[in-house]
Amino acid sequence: MKIFEKINNDESYKKIFKNSYPYVLGGILLAIVQIINFTVTGSPWGVTGVLANWGASIFELFGGSVENWHFFEIGNYSISMDYNLLNSPESMRNIGIVIGALISTLLASEFKFKKIKNIKQISGAILGGLLMGYGARIAFGCNIGALFSGIASLSLSGWIYGIFMFFGVIVGSKILVKYLI
Amino acid sequence: MNIEEYEKYKKLKSKGLKPKNQLPCAAAIIAFSVFLSIYLGIINFESFKYWVIGLGFGFILQKSRFCFTAAFRDPYLTGSTALTKAALLSFAITSVGFTVIKYIYFNRGLPIPGMDYVAPISFATLIGAFIFGIGMVISGGCASGTFMRIGEGFQLQIVTLVFFVIGSFWAAHDYLWWEKIFISKGFRVFLPDIFGWIGGLSVNLLIILSLYFLVKRLGKSRN
Repeated sequence: MKIFEKINNDESYKKIFKNSYPYVLGGILLAIVQIINFTVTGSPWGVTGVLANWGASIFELFGGSVENWHFFEIGNYSISMDYNLLNSPESMRNIGIVIGALISTLLASEFKFKKIKNIKQISGAILGGLLMGYGARIAFGCNIGALFSGIASLSLSGWIYGIFMFFGVIVGSKILVKYLI
Repeated sequence: MNIEEYEKYKKLKSKGLKPKNQLPCAAAIIAFSVFLSIYLGIINFESFKYWVIGLGFGFILQKSRFCFTAAFRDPYLTGSTALTKAALLSFAITSVGFTVIKYIYFNRGLPIPGMDYVAPISFATLIGAFIFGIGMVISGGCASGTFMRIGEGFQLQIVTLVFFVIGSFWAAHDYLWWEKIFISKGFRVFLPDIFGWIGGLSVNLLIILSLYFLVKRLGKSRN
């Protein structure tokens, strides 16, 4: 359709939707959305807290039960059998990240399925995923919940997390260079 | 056509492909998102708010190629520091915003929101953060980055997400042990409790500023 061509070649459209933004602008915009998020939801941004619930829901779907698991008895992590993504705000925010990134990529006409290249990549993804999942749960969050939101909440835990995460980065980089690339 | 676009065009041409206009697809996904927003607004207003904010985060992360893993990895691995400095700036702005909001609540005698993000510090924090750091480097992205890359069309990050969920669930299984041995002995430190509101914020900003100059010097010396 012609209208799409016309929009696509518009100069200001290119500036806002086709070219990538400088990191500094990205940082400022993320800060603004963090503050909006805190204002309207009353809680800072977190990503991983809800992922254990996803695991539990799938586990229960296959007949397992987490009824007596301490983790699901405390705090906001209680779940029910009729777990529904649409009624789980934190899940919807994560799905929002996927769709927001998809929209951004499509508006720039850059979307492409990127295939998995080799077994090394898969090993990295499996091991990395497990370590991140486990680590985030016992450290009360990921780079977003524990670090970004922790530091912004004036919590010392954010800084301690940052120091030890960086030690992990050093070890991870050595593993990456030696075995994975 | 600017240089960036020309490079992209050349790359596509060398593969025998023509750059495709994906706007119709974008329009369809946007229409779907609007529809879902309205639906969520009716059935669950909390979900609606979180969903719209998530769209914003995803859009910004993708548009600015913002990756928290790269922000902490690259100064060490490649010596590039631009993203690290942008992340520190973001932390600084958010600290100010959060503190103002919290202070308003405090001033009115209301319970301060978001205090559960002032997490207890224990040996579990150190171990958790350490293995998280390893994991994000070898998988090539942390949690927000994994979700963003799935949206960009990466298949690998779907594997990462599956194992992220398994890892989370595994830790949930062991959680009682971690809590008994370590987390229950942890301590929470909210900086304004020690330094006062202005003092607490100042200390936080001072640490960010020192890191900024440290990173800046590191970037220069590497070059």
